[in-house]
Amino acid sequence: MERRIIHLNIANFCVAVEQVRDPRLRNRPVIIACPGPRAVVHDMSDEAYSEGVRKNMLLTAALRRCRSALVLPPRPELYRKALGSCLKQALQYTPLVERSSGNGHLYLDVTGTHRLFGPPPDIGWRLRNTLRRDLGLDPIWSIGTSKLIAKVASRLVKPRGEYIVGGGEEQSFLNPLPLQLLPGISPADLLRLQHINIHLVHQVTALSVQDLHVVCGRRAHRIYHLVRGIDPRPVHPVISRKQDISHAYTFSPDTNQEAVVRAALTTLTQRAGYDLRQRRLGCRRAAVMLLYSDGVSVTRQAAVSLPVCDDTSLQQLVSAALYRAWNRRIRLRQLTVTCSLLCHPAQQLSLFTAGDMRVQKNRQLSKALDTIRSRCGDGTIFRGAQYPHINTSIPLP
Amino acid sequence: MPTASSVHIGTCGFSYPEWIKAGIYPPKTRSFQMLRHYSRLFSVVELNYTWYQMARADTITRMLAGCDSTLLFCAKLTRTMTHEIATDWPDQARAYLQGMAPLLARKRLLSVLVQLPPTFRRTPQNRTYLARLFDTLKPLPLAVEFRHRSWAQNSVFTGLTERGVTLVSVDAPPLPELFPPLEVITNPALFYLRLHGRNTSGWRSGSKQQQFNYNYTQAELRQWSAARIPRMRAACTTGVILFNNHVAGQAVRNAQALAQLLHPSSASHNV
Repeated sequence: MERRIIHLNIANFCVAVEQVRDPRLRNRPVIIACPGPRAVVHDMSDEAYSEGVRKNMLLTAALRRCRSALVLPPRPELYRKALGSCLKQALQYTPLVERSSGNGHLYLDVTGTHRLFGPPPDIGWRLRNTLRRDLGLDPIWSIGTSKLIAKVASRLVKPRGEYIVGGGEEQSFLNPLPLQLLPGISPADLLRLQHINIHLVHQVTALSVQDLHVVCGRRAHRIYHLVRGIDPRPVHPVISRKQDISHAYTFSPDTNQEAVVRAALTTLTQRAGYDLRQRRLGCRRAAVMLLYSDGVSVTRQAAVSLPVCDDTSLQQLVSAALYRAWNRRIRLRQLTVTCSLLCHPAQQLSLFTAGDMRVQKNRQLSKALDTIRSRCGDGTIFRGAQYPHINTSIPLP
Repeated sequence: MPTASSVHIGTCGFSYPEWIKAGIYPPKTRSFQMLRHYSRLFSVVELNYTWYQMARADTITRMLAGCDSTLLFCAKLTRTMTHEIATDWPDQARAYLQGMAPLLARKRLLSVLVQLPPTFRRTPQNRTYLARLFDTLKPLPLAVEFRHRSWAQNSVFTGLTERGVTLVSVDAPPLPELFPPLEVITNPALFYLRLHGRNTSGWRSGSKQQQFNYNYTQAELRQWSAARIPRMRAACTTGVILFNNHVAGQAVRNAQALAQLLHPSSASHNV
């Protein structure tokens, strides 16, 4: 059966939620950013965008471009609640709803729900009406045969509207579009293709994988599929996923000193490990996102087969992800650590031996540190690896 | 005076995955192939996706490339001019005109359907709006379907006749507030009949799957084919008859049955 995916996108999600709470914020430039000397723009309204403000830009630079902007601190809990309400409405149509990166994107797989709820455009329209009426949010809704096609369609009509792409029309839909509209095409890919005067999708579809390999190297296969609208990724239902644990740190000033970066990484890892142990969970995958001074962000991840939750094992996993991501000489502005694929760290104990003593010791040490932190506070005890960057008041995103 | 008009029979919409299961389309038919299969069954189709999203010339050009060159079209006007009237509706109307350009240029557009909701009653404000809307969309052949009985007045029919706008005749459940099933001709160039089914209990359910789940009996179809359609045919040069009871492919079977009743010897649905 042909897949039908609905993409709901609430443009400038954080600002949209703030505007619902305070209608006086409508039709004026608003920037969401953490207060602080090295703060970066987290989100902005259309008015601020049209003045040149962009995400991840330094707040000071953003305010130079848009002096009349109102700066608000981010309220993650509020945004989480608003997205949760959207999710609740979406779940009435299908259990397959994916919440993408918590920034106002929802994917619904409505394949096969036709006889229950009518055609997919009707679902998209009704859902948008419900969100508008009940939550005051006005999402873009678009329909495609994959997450890729639906997302590109949303980008075409942003900041508001709708777009329906029929099954089999993917290629003709994508052909005239500029390459930067395709999610998954990195700035580096774009640059390489622009060097040989390729700007549109249909110019890339004329190339074979071998041709693309000459230009884009290892990325050739991925790009070959992207420009043809081939995206078999399933919609991951939210209900089966535990909430990821994520912590971020903004360097002040920007740095590329390894000791400082490693110390910050250790601090973030300790926090993530503490959260995991408090929830009696382990993680099988860790991701590190680096935001460079020039606004480029790179995310890489590392995974293990058995869930880990002690600080040392987690540190190894996160370090592996860090060195996969850190391959530029540009200074770093922000570092984010995310633990995902969370599950209970159950394991079969050995009947005769006590197991690896070092692992046991690490677990005991993590447990002891947790106890001290619970009793005396977060800033009372540190590992040596956190030096020279011992900072207890890490601002969370 | 027009006599014995050509009548095109079809359905409201064509892209229904459930029609594959109902045996209307072959197994594993993809969305973009449905219109090609449809054009082998009927000579006209009503585009309902243009109600959900603004008509775009590129989308319609792509659609035309994928179907039979003789298939004719009726298209619904976008909801932002009928059900959710936006403040910038004149811009929307201009965008719609541009979107319909490929159909107009190829002479494949029979009519644009302005379908108004039951909440759109005959008030001075709504009358003014409708007059301005018709004026803005003037280059297009227009048909209007009311869902509230307050519009069933001679002055309305006269106004439509003066503007050359077709009044859509409807077959719907006999509910007190609904526009009655009339056969008033306001445009001698076209009559437009829409058969929604008579599912009284499902009409206000809020679900299109229930609202349009109805199978017409031969006797019910004969109510139209015996006298009412012939009278409308006699008054118009062209006619469109569209079935909206799409659930489980009932619209297709009813359309084929009506075509047989209107012209037993014809295998075609352009009678």
